[in-house]
Amino acid sequence: MAYMKLPQRIAFRPVVVAAMAAFAAGCAKEDRQMPGPAPAPAHAVLALEHQVDGQDFRYDTVQYTNEAGQVYGITHLEYYLSQLTLAGAAGTPDQVIPGPWYVNGMNANRFDLGPLPAGTYTGATVQLGLPPALNQTGALPGTLENLLMAWPAPMGGGYHFMKFEGHFLLNGQPTGFAMHLGRDENLVHCTMQQPFTLAGAKDTLVLRFNLNEVFRSPHTYDLTTGNQSMGSMALMGLLRDNCADAFTLEHRP
Amino acid sequence: MSGGKAGVLLMAALVALVAGCSKDAPLDHGPMVPATTPLQLDVPAYFPQVDIPADNPLTVEGVALGRRLYYDTLLSLHGPRQGKACASCHHQDRAFTVPSPGTGVLSHANLAWSTHFLWDGRVSGKLEDVMRFEVEDFFQVDVQVLRSHPEYPGLFRKALGTSEITSGDVAKALAQWVRRLTSSNSRFDRYLRYEGILSAQELSGMNLFFTEAGDCFHCHGLPLMTDNAFHNIGLDSVFTGANAGRFAVTGNPADLGAFKTPTLRNIALTAPYMHDGRFQTLEQVMDFYSGGVHRSPSLDPIMTKPGTGITIGMSPQQKADLVAFLHSLTDEQFITDPALGSPF
Repeated sequence: MAYMKLPQRIAFRPVVVAAMAAFAAGCAKEDRQMPGPAPAPAHAVLALEHQVDGQDFRYDTVQYTNEAGQVYGITHLEYYLSQLTLAGAAGTPDQVIPGPWYVNGMNANRFDLGPLPAGTYTGATVQLGLPPALNQTGALPGTLENLLMAWPAPMGGGYHFMKFEGHFLLNGQPTGFAMHLGRDENLVHCTMQQPFTLAGAKDTLVLRFNLNEVFRSPHTYDLTTGNQSMGSMALMGLLRDNCADAFTLEHRP
Repeated sequence: MSGGKAGVLLMAALVALVAGCSKDAPLDHGPMVPATTPLQLDVPAYFPQVDIPADNPLTVEGVALGRRLYYDTLLSLHGPRQGKACASCHHQDRAFTVPSPGTGVLSHANLAWSTHFLWDGRVSGKLEDVMRFEVEDFFQVDVQVLRSHPEYPGLFRKALGTSEITSGDVAKALAQWVRRLTSSNSRFDRYLRYEGILSAQELSGMNLFFTEAGDCFHCHGLPLMTDNAFHNIGLDSVFTGANAGRFAVTGNPADLGAFKTPTLRNIALTAPYMHDGRFQTLEQVMDFYSGGVHRSPSLDPIMTKPGTGITIGMSPQQKADLVAFLHSLTDEQFITDPALGSPF
C-alpha cells in the first residue's frame, strides 16, 4: 500500500492555489485602475477568430495543406489565452489584462475586456496558455471546460494550453493527430505588431489565429513523425516556437 | 515540499473545502414552491457546480416524488412498455444499469452534468428534456393514470405546486430525482480526499490511466470520469444500423461510429460494455484498447498513437493494473444507500 505525494492529488492543494491566484488577479486589476486622471474609457471586447492561411475555419473537412505539404482537417480546437498586453504609445500607458480566457472553436469566443483608456497603441502581446501561477492542478474554477483541459498530475499537473486535433492524409488514409501543448516551459509568448487606436467608445480587438502557423516557422512541423505531441517536450517545443507568430490583431472601432 | 508547509496548505484547503461543502450555504436555485424544502447536492468540492434550472429547483419533496415515479410501474401502464419502471433497467446495485445482452445500459450516475443523453446523444439539453423524452416517447406515460391515483395528485401539489399533472410535471420530478443520483465516494475519491489509500497495483493502474501510456484520461477525465462527448474509439471500421452512432443524429460523416463517453465511475458493476454490450469483462475491454482498435476515417484522433499506429500494446501486467484501478472507482455507498433504493 502506498500514498502518492501531495502534488499528485487534486482535491486539496488546488483550493489554496486558486485562492492565491484570485488574490493575485485582484491585485492586478487594482493596479490597472490606480493611475491619475483617467482618459475616457473604452469598453473593449476581445474576439477570437480562426482561419487557415486565409481559408475559412471549418471542422471535419480534410482540406488544408500545411508547410510540410500534408493535407489535414480539424476536429477539435481548444486553448487558453492569458496576459493580454496592449503596448501604449504617445503617452498612453501599457494595459495589461490578465485573463485567462478559455477559447473553443465551437464557441463565439467574445470576451469583455472592461474599460480601457482611449489612446494609441503600437501592438499587443498575449500568452497562448496559462502563467505558472494558474498552471497548477485545480487553480482555475472547476467548470467542466477547465476540468477537461486538465494536464494530469502524474504528467506534471496544470492544464493543457492547447488541444488542436484532426486528421491528415498519410498514404491517402486519414490519420489522427493531436497537437497538445502544456507545461510551464511551453508557454507561448505571442507578439502582434499591428498599431491601433482605442477611440473611447466600444472597440473590438480581434485576435486571428492562423492554424497553419502551428506547423510553419521557425520549424516545418512533420505530422508523420510528430502526430501526438503531449508526451514529448521536444515536439511541444516546436509547437511553442511556431505559435509565437500565429496570431494577428485587428482593431474594429 | 516540507511536511510543515504541506500541513499548512492542507489545513487551509480543508477549511476552504469544508466551507465549500457546507450544507448551510445559502441556496439560489430559483423560485421555490411554497412549503417545499430546498435540497443541496452533497458532492465534493472538486466536482463542478451543477446547473439547476430556475423553474425546477431541487427540493426534498420533488426528489421524493421523482424517486417514487422512477420505481413505479404505473409509469408504463397503457404504454408500450407495460409492467416496466425506470428502475427495471437501472438497478441501484448495478450503479443504475442492468446487464442486458446486446446493449450497454448507460448509468444514471452523475447525469446532472450531462447535456447530451443516450449513446448517440439524440436528446440534448437538461435532465428535464431527456426525462420528457422518457415520459412522452419511451414510456408514453398516461398522465390520467396519475391524475386519478389516490396519492399522486397530492404529492405533485406538495412538490411542484400543481395537481394537474402534465407530462412536463412528471419529467420535472424525475429530473430532480436523477439529479440527486450523484456518485462521488469511491475508494479513489477517498484517496483523493486523503481519507483512504490505494494499493500499489491500483496506483500503478492510476498512473497508466492518467499518462500517455494508457491515455484514458483524455476522454475519461476527473472528476466525472467522462467528457460527456462523442468519440469513435475504433470498435468497427464499417458502420451500419445502430453502429452509426452520433452520425444518426447529426448526419456528419465525421460522427460515424461515435458514441457518448460513458462514465467509468462504478464501471466494474456495469457490464456488458460498449453501446452494444460486445465486451463482457473489463479484461476484454483492455484487450480491445491494447490491440483491437480498427481504423476508419472518423476514428478519433486521440486513438492514433505516436508513430501513427493504433495499438498501445499493453502488457498483461499493465492491463491487470488498469483493471485494478477501475475497480477502485466503485462507490459502495452509492449502490447501497437506502435513500436511493425503491420506496415501495
